[in-house]
Amino acid sequence: MSASLIYSPFFLITALYLLSSVWGLGNLLRPEGFSKKWADRLPIIAFVLHSLFLIFLTFKTNNIPITNLFESMVFLIWCVVAVFNGVGYLYNVTALGAFLFPLVTLLSLWAIGLMGHPLSAPTNLGKFWLIAHTIPLFMGYAAFTLTFTLSVMYLTQQRQLKLKVFGPLFKGLPSLESLDVLMWRTLSLGFPLLTLGLVFGAFWMRYSNALGPQWYLDSKVVMGLVTWLIYAALLHLRIGVSWHGSRVAALTIVGFILVLFTFLGTFFLGAQHGFQKVSQEDVRLIKELK
Amino acid sequence: MNILVVGLNHKSAPVEIREQLAFSTSKIPEALERFRKGFPSSEVVILSTCNRVELYASSPEDSLTADAVLEFLSRFHGLEKEKFQEHMYSYYGLEAVNHLFFVASSLDSMVVGESQIVGQVKEAYMAAATCEATDKTLNKLFQQALSVAKEVHTKSDIAKGKVSIGSVAVDFAKKMVRDFSDKTVFIIGAGEMAELVLKSLVDQGTRTVMVSNRSFDRAVALAGEYGGKAVRFDDLGEELFKADIVISATAAPHYVLHPEHIREAMKRRRGKPMFLIDLAGEHRDINPEVIKIDNVYLNNIDDLESMVKQNTDERAKEMEKCRAIVEKEAEEFMAWLEEMKIGPAITHLREHFHSIGKEELERLRPKLRGVGEEVWQEVVYTMERTLNKLLHEPAKVGKQEAKNGGGYRYVETLKKLFGIRPTDHSKTAPPNPSGSV
Repeated sequence: MSASLIYSPFFLITALYLLSSVWGLGNLLRPEGFSKKWADRLPIIAFVLHSLFLIFLTFKTNNIPITNLFESMVFLIWCVVAVFNGVGYLYNVTALGAFLFPLVTLLSLWAIGLMGHPLSAPTNLGKFWLIAHTIPLFMGYAAFTLTFTLSVMYLTQQRQLKLKVFGPLFKGLPSLESLDVLMWRTLSLGFPLLTLGLVFGAFWMRYSNALGPQWYLDSKVVMGLVTWLIYAALLHLRIGVSWHGSRVAALTIVGFILVLFTFLGTFFLGAQHGFQKVSQEDVRLIKELK
Repeated sequence: MNILVVGLNHKSAPVEIREQLAFSTSKIPEALERFRKGFPSSEVVILSTCNRVELYASSPEDSLTADAVLEFLSRFHGLEKEKFQEHMYSYYGLEAVNHLFFVASSLDSMVVGESQIVGQVKEAYMAAATCEATDKTLNKLFQQALSVAKEVHTKSDIAKGKVSIGSVAVDFAKKMVRDFSDKTVFIIGAGEMAELVLKSLVDQGTRTVMVSNRSFDRAVALAGEYGGKAVRFDDLGEELFKADIVISATAAPHYVLHPEHIREAMKRRRGKPMFLIDLAGEHRDINPEVIKIDNVYLNNIDDLESMVKQNTDERAKEMEKCRAIVEKEAEEFMAWLEEMKIGPAITHLREHFHSIGKEELERLRPKLRGVGEEVWQEVVYTMERTLNKLLHEPAKVGKQEAKNGGGYRYVETLKKLFGIRPTDHSKTAPPNPSGSV
């Protein structure tokens, strides 16, 4: 089966995320036309399909589905939606979906754009360390994606309160305090996960040679560290200096841009981070050898 | 069975007239009893609130008319009819039912969608039921009115969106605050308006209250009422930082809170957000420049009022939907009422036919003197069979018509067709179309 055929279910999943965005925004702006029931239900349906797709990929590749950039992105999106569903279950913030799913849809479209990207992971990577390193990192990034979304909501609501714009968006958004609390919670969920992922990564590199002896100079490693420092500073400012609201929100947005850059941007600057360029020619050769 | 309502409300009459015609709770049993003495077979409910006085009555007698009710009101209150007559409206039948459902659903209220009226209608009905002033018709009518009110409130957004300054202020606060229980409210200027907003916030769970006032005694009094702390006006700046929500409503002709105050307070609060509500009218209490300070939010009385207006307008938009619900229910009630009337009407018709049959047989008997008893019985039997067969269809159709809401018209048609003398008076037309007597 060709790669594009294996990946084709993701088009449907992307469509469902798009639908979730439309319905979520509809519910926020015109609740009489877009029921809350479906605003809650659509993301769950998309998530279930997404999960099935990942299980399918895992069996197909016999590895966790991050063997190339497309799969990594798809896995990250899954983590984001998983954390969203968890937060939604615990705190019932309907408006969150309306802000998150447009972003999820954009990330999904980006993933689709990465389908043919030639970077892919070598098959000889140790599975234990791979999982120990990537799963916490991916979940951490997912938590930060939510922090980012909440920050956007916070700044939107704050702007409306300051400018006294009392439209439907004003009525639909939760209180600043709720958003602030949730920002704080997702941040405190993401940070330990990020730390854990980085520490496991460092351990891994001590035992393997996947990135060469000077692994710490790999741009993705460096960026990972910068991201960590930003979030550490954020937590410090929040706990120690008692920063509130808008400034925290603005900084988490910076943090998220760094996350995205660390996650994917570095690859476009030439970093390989354990991935190898596989040309179509190579793929054909490997197939013939088999 | 006739239903009528005679009354006046905030739209039809000035407050002085409403006050003169109002029934105090203690007077209602006496009024009900006196009314029932005047109209022995009637049922009656008196609804008397600060915005309306209405008398709902039902009677099989023709004598119960809007005019008779006006006479009763005039006698009971010792007022000349001419003094209030022009402010009164009256509705009969379907229109009366519609009106009650409209009132109970809070569609006729001064603040459309307010929830108080449902309780008042219920109380009025309970008071009448306790005095045994209601029977089948008004029992059914008022029970249905209460259920219609519930339906209107659940199926429409008529009660959505707050329409008082206090509740709108809470709505704003809710966009900043998630949990009110650990928040401190600071009142500056212990006036009526500030207290109103304070009460709404306390209802949301606020426990810590601080009050500052030019006259310290008044501050102590208000603080005492809410278990709060009174702050001397000169110490305001010193204590301000403790407040999460500040409500200011002084009569001062200048700003009371300046950006420096707030900046200082925010420093001491370590940036914790602060929500300010300026309830002062023309001369604002809080310098609007404070909005430039991070994590400080300010709403003034104009913002609150414009939100009230927005919500009121939205309620008005829901009116059509509610009207449809009410009208459907009123028609259902009338159908029930008609079904109640069909039974007696068919009995009348049966009696009417059989009395004609009996008359004819009596006329025939002497002419058939030669005929034996057995044959005569056969003739009588045939007559009865014929009459019953003729009656079968009208009775069947009558029941169907009643179910479909055409019972009233059907009964009227029967009466006309067969010349049955009227014993049941159910006129639906009010004396004049404008509704006022």
